[in-house]
Amino acid sequence: MIEFKTGLRAEHHRLLLEAIIQPASLIGYDNRQWELLLRLARRAQLSGYLAARLEREGLLDNIPIRAANLLRSGLIQARKQQQSVRWELNRVRWALDDSDMPVIVLKGMAYLLQDLPNAAGRMFADLDLLVSKENLRRVEAALLKKGWQHHALTDYDERYYREWSHEIPALVHPERSIEVDVHHTLSSPLGKLKIDPQSFREAAIEVKEAGCYVLSPEDMVLHCAVNLFQNNELADDLRHLVDFSELLLFFSNRQPLFRQKLIGRANQLGLGKPLFYGLYFSRLLLRSAIPDGLEKQLDRRPGRIAQCVMHYCVPLALLPQHPDYPARRAKYARMWLYWRSHWLRMPLYRLLPHLAYKFYLSVLPARTEISKQK
Amino acid sequence: MRAGQLSRDAFRVLLTGSGLRVKTGPFNLSIRTRLPQLIDQLYRMYAHYSLMGEAEIAEFHVRVISRCSIRRPFARLIQFEVDGRSPFPPVPAEQALATLEWGINLAIAMRINHLLLFHSAAVERNGHVLLLPAWPGSGKTTLCTALIHRGYRLFSDEFGLMDPQSGAFFPLPRLMPLKNRSIEVIRDYLPEAVLGPEIPGTLKGTVAHVRPPQESIRRTDETAQSRWIVFPKWSTGAALQLEPLPRSEAFLLLASNAFNYELLGETAFNAVTHLVRNCECRKLVYSDFDSVLAALDALTDMPADMN
Repeated sequence: MIEFKTGLRAEHHRLLLEAIIQPASLIGYDNRQWELLLRLARRAQLSGYLAARLEREGLLDNIPIRAANLLRSGLIQARKQQQSVRWELNRVRWALDDSDMPVIVLKGMAYLLQDLPNAAGRMFADLDLLVSKENLRRVEAALLKKGWQHHALTDYDERYYREWSHEIPALVHPERSIEVDVHHTLSSPLGKLKIDPQSFREAAIEVKEAGCYVLSPEDMVLHCAVNLFQNNELADDLRHLVDFSELLLFFSNRQPLFRQKLIGRANQLGLGKPLFYGLYFSRLLLRSAIPDGLEKQLDRRPGRIAQCVMHYCVPLALLPQHPDYPARRAKYARMWLYWRSHWLRMPLYRLLPHLAYKFYLSVLPARTEISKQK
Repeated sequence: MRAGQLSRDAFRVLLTGSGLRVKTGPFNLSIRTRLPQLIDQLYRMYAHYSLMGEAEIAEFHVRVISRCSIRRPFARLIQFEVDGRSPFPPVPAEQALATLEWGINLAIAMRINHLLLFHSAAVERNGHVLLLPAWPGSGKTTLCTALIHRGYRLFSDEFGLMDPQSGAFFPLPRLMPLKNRSIEVIRDYLPEAVLGPEIPGTLKGTVAHVRPPQESIRRTDETAQSRWIVFPKWSTGAALQLEPLPRSEAFLLLASNAFNYELLGETAFNAVTHLVRNCECRKLVYSDFDSVLAALDALTDMPADMN
């Protein structure tokens, strides 16, 4: 890979990355380092994850009490969220019980269902589901009938979801606070990356006791990369890279040929680019043990210039800013990646009006509220 | 060293620079602001807090900054930030102190789960905690203010912080926001109380903060077990009533009134069960301070053999 400096020079970045790579190294942190780490971990939504890892290694009692208290608080919150999302899935299964519509559980809840290592202490407040486009209306109707509701949306947002997005507007049951996001595909249908959700659905694996499906291991890793490098804006998204790297490590340890199957599947589905970035940044930031030439086997790889730009910008976006001294270059890197994510998601003739509308909202929020009331 | 022992200049340098780090109960705060008016108010209201060095971990990093708004270009607005995030929209600059105090409370309520957080005033007398849980508007801050100027030690007017394992309560003596009519009532009844500026126009009306007594802040590390739970209700002209409350009812009132009861689940259930079993529970209706102070003194008096 090209030798090119990253935007990663700051002390606070190293603190957070070392903590994730090697939790045992935290024992040596002094109080000032702890204070900064705790603030960064909170921003990156990794407090629960770090707490779970320290707990697993029996180290929670060997760190400063104030740090342990805050980490435990995060872990308790994460466990409660997980319990709530698990119950939401139970209720969704109940609402869809007499239908024959298979539901595939995605992201956080899927990791939890399989008890994957990145699930411990993971914070998430949404239940993400994938159904076929044919079943989408029926699933939505069934949930609405059993009491779930959509948030009040502007006409613009409603249209955005219905016509341009890979999911419908979130459904929330008024007695609970968990958002149910129902997807019919895994990335924006208008986007540059064309994804065939049917091949994902066909390879899905049944989780008997939960009465639902999860993606196959290769597809789960691929979806994680697609979500991070295709759908998200990457700002403060380090935890999704942690997911990617943990999933890859876990499945590789269990299946000797997993990495080869993953490459093959990415080539088959045309998802080489997001997988390339996932592998590349896991190795760069999290020191994942990934063989050197692995990405070379991908049919579709980003071009040389794109690689250089991403190499510089992605770490600045994924890793949280220093809470007291935000860096301007990180701000620009994030701005660029924000544009990029929209550029990947929709063609220019849609993108420009969309961003203009969002900019208008950010400057004059009250005026639109007033016009809504009228 | 206490914040009030700093010169005004040194105090200002901390607030505008690396942060004023003070200890409030079990938590350390780091506060930063450049607003001259807020600096003056904090210099007076935070005088008793101990300063913490950089070598101690501060749990909460808050900041109050001035803000410009395109929609209101000529208004002087401020924004509260905790770790660089703003949980509230900007408010007029006069409300800086109230917003700072509410913001810190919000951060505590959102982040702390290793302790059970009751929404309750808590004071200590004869070595034991008297809990005064109540809904907003029932006058718990006002009653709490009266108690702490009449021999009770302040734990908190807002949070009953309990370690669910040991049952110990932690003091968290912070500024106490009196609202609307309570301000005059306290000025009349307790001329010795140190009050901050009257801040009109907040979400809760006019607010003025009571500075916690120095003694309460000095003994901020002395925890205690709870022994009495009294649910107060202020009611105009009502005769004093202090009646026993069934433990089952006390349980439900406490649990439904806690910030993180659901989050802690079974741990919280066991802790509240233990708490109500070991406390005397009362329902209180009052309208004047003299009679309520006498009644609560009688309740919290210890038999001679226990002193």
